Amino acid sequence: MKYVLATLILLGASSARAAPPPEAATCQACHGVHGEGMVDGAKPRLAGQSAHYLDKQLRDFASGARDNAIMGAIAKGLNDQTRSRLAAYYASLPVPAPLDHSAATAATAAQVGRGHQLAIEGAEGKRVQACNNCHGPDGSGVALSAPALAGQLATYLAAQLTLWQQGGRKNDAGNLMSSVASKLDEADIAAVTSYYASLSASTPASH
Amino acid sequence: MDGGTYTSIRKFRHPSAEGVTVAQRLKEVDVVVIGVGMVGSILAKELAAAGYKVVGLERGATRFTVPEFQSPGIHDELRFDVRKALMQDNTREPVTFRNHSSETGLPIRRWESFLPGTGLGGSMVHWNGQTFRFQANDFELATRTRERYGKGFLDPDLTLQDWGVTYDELEPHYDRFEYLLGTSGKAGNLKGQIQPGGDPHESPRSRDYPTPPQKEHYSGALFRKAATSLGHHPFPQPSSNLSQPYTNPEGLKMNTCVFCGFCERYACEHYAKSTPQTFILPVLLANSNFELRTGCQVQRINLDSSKKRATGVTYIDNAGRELEQPASLVITSLFAINNIRMLLLSGIGKPYDPVTGKGVVGRNYAYQTMSTVASFFDEDVIINPFMASGASGTMINDFAGDNFDHSGLGFVGGAFIGAVNTNGRPIQYHPTPPGTPTWGKGWKDAVVKHYNHTVMFSLHGSSVSQKQNYADLDPTYKDAWGQPLLRITFDFPKNDLKMAEYVTARGVEIGKAMGAKQVVGSPRKGPYTTQQYQTTHNTGGTVMGNDPSTSVVNRYLQSWDVPNVFVIGASAYPQNASWNPTGTLGALTYWVADALKSKYLKSPGHLVSP
Repeated sequence: MKYVLATLILLGASSARAAPPPEAATCQACHGVHGEGMVDGAKPRLAGQSAHYLDKQLRDFASGARDNAIMGAIAKGLNDQTRSRLAAYYASLPVPAPLDHSAATAATAAQVGRGHQLAIEGAEGKRVQACNNCHGPDGSGVALSAPALAGQLATYLAAQLTLWQQGGRKNDAGNLMSSVASKLDEADIAAVTSYYASLSASTPASH
Repeated sequence: MDGGTYTSIRKFRHPSAEGVTVAQRLKEVDVVVIGVGMVGSILAKELAAAGYKVVGLERGATRFTVPEFQSPGIHDELRFDVRKALMQDNTREPVTFRNHSSETGLPIRRWESFLPGTGLGGSMVHWNGQTFRFQANDFELATRTRERYGKGFLDPDLTLQDWGVTYDELEPHYDRFEYLLGTSGKAGNLKGQIQPGGDPHESPRSRDYPTPPQKEHYSGALFRKAATSLGHHPFPQPSSNLSQPYTNPEGLKMNTCVFCGFCERYACEHYAKSTPQTFILPVLLANSNFELRTGCQVQRINLDSSKKRATGVTYIDNAGRELEQPASLVITSLFAINNIRMLLLSGIGKPYDPVTGKGVVGRNYAYQTMSTVASFFDEDVIINPFMASGASGTMINDFAGDNFDHSGLGFVGGAFIGAVNTNGRPIQYHPTPPGTPTWGKGWKDAVVKHYNHTVMFSLHGSSVSQKQNYADLDPTYKDAWGQPLLRITFDFPKNDLKMAEYVTARGVEIGKAMGAKQVVGSPRKGPYTTQQYQTTHNTGGTVMGNDPSTSVVNRYLQSWDVPNVFVIGASAYPQNASWNPTGTLGALTYWVADALKSKYLKSPGHLVSP
């Protein structure tokens, strides 16, 4: 029932858009009908994320390299073909307007400013390099190596940084994210995640 | 060309230049360090931690990973690669060069063949991270060559000599340096036990590298297979672009290298390449016994009337003021060629005279003999050269140093051969086979065709010292402060050209064994040119040894003539070996730190009687 409803809504929303693979119904329940994410429960935006990144995360969920009970169970049920079809579908979706992130996180201008500094420059005192070094100009992502952060939900980003920090997530290359996250404190995390959430993901810098 | 004076810049000099006033004299300190690069920052840290008041004088600017080295600015190939933004400013302070003493030296106005850095952290900020030890044989080259091949083996023009220090003496210091840097590699000889996968030719090491080797790129995998099939012994190049997160003994954390391919000529944005900024400077700068002064151009080391004791240094700061910094101990830790110049400008040690062969300062200037092999594949072999670090190669030492029999070959030395793809940067990296047009559509088509399907080998060869090659002060050209420039007189010794020919032929064999469609060997040919990049491994000129008539400093890098001056750099190498010089310089730095702390500072004076 849920599947049919979701499909109908999607078709109604944009008839020009590629039809979602049938398995997307499962995704839509949490990640939104347009892959826009969900503030409640910190479900990440998938729309416009690179297919390579999405495919790798699904494989990591399935293998346990990325530990998440819900996503692990779902990803294990996908074969190679379905997985790559889903990844390609969400990568093809236009990036929706940001959810109400600034209201959700109630970030101050000073916080966003600090986040901006961490994103483009880093912090020598903490030996943290700029996030954009890997995540691309304005956090727009680098297709084969690092996910887009711009317009991502602050709650999701903060939850992930905390996981990297505490060893709950380690499916990157070279333990880079745990190195970086371990040097950030709570205030840094609130700042940098609210900054990226405040960016409009639909207009990333060219790269 | 005119005389190279800089009248307009001279105007900002302190009135003392006209003899009106004297330099302002500052409060005396225990130690002044000239040049805060790798050597300067390590030694300053050791001495400041031991309780001595240390001032570090750096001519360049203060700079750190954040904000100076961050992306996207740091990946500006035009700025850093082509225009050499991190290098010594040769509009103010060039070097003159000639091939032979019969010629007139001319200033190098645009760096190409070698790239001396400037600024906090020195040349190490823009290095590739290739971190080698020399072999036991290298430190006793003259003696061992005579023993193995007989007295008449060497060309009489060569001035090879032993270092006065042995590998066994340096081993603990190599070890300390590698653990400071976090170097990624695989041991080949642990306390005499050969280790599979490492370099079986290396001299014994007391323990393995602090971190495992970096990942092997595809060109390295092709090289490994081919070299093994020919009976050689491939191993992963030791890299100070780290393979995993690492906390060094100073408590500083470094990150994993991301293979961005912007090491050499650039600074690392990720705290992943070992440089003074990542491995020592935060600790040094936090020590209140140390004071860093940047923008300070040291003019000379001052001597007392006996000329046997240094009283400190005189420098000109960024405001044009001439200042005198008195100190009990002076350490010159400049890039090799600048160490030579500092001694010549200060009148320390007898300048070398190539006619009589007498004198020592400037003698035994040597370099590195670089050759290449390019292997061109069909388009189904995908190399992805841009996924690289400056030291993520796979290589062999079977034709390096004295690891093969030189009988009947007519030369000493050798080269490591490696698939060392350090980058695939768009402006500078475009391998094309011989016969390709140098511009236009034909060139562009060839670049597109070969960019992703070519494996480049580096053949990194030793460099012998010989009578004709040396450095002195230029009689004509001066720097922006009115001081004579250094003049280098150098051409490749016949010994090294023969070596390059021989080893390049071995490299071509490996290229063919890889199955390449076309293999092109380019052995180094003379004459030496300053207009083509080769390597920034300038060595010699203030060489170490046990005989004051053939060395500038003793085995502890202490001046024979002025014992409160220590001269530390690759300028101490009596000749250069088959590997990059940095690892050995790091070992020498800790060797000197030990001698200073345990011997000299307790009882200042000659550590070896002249």
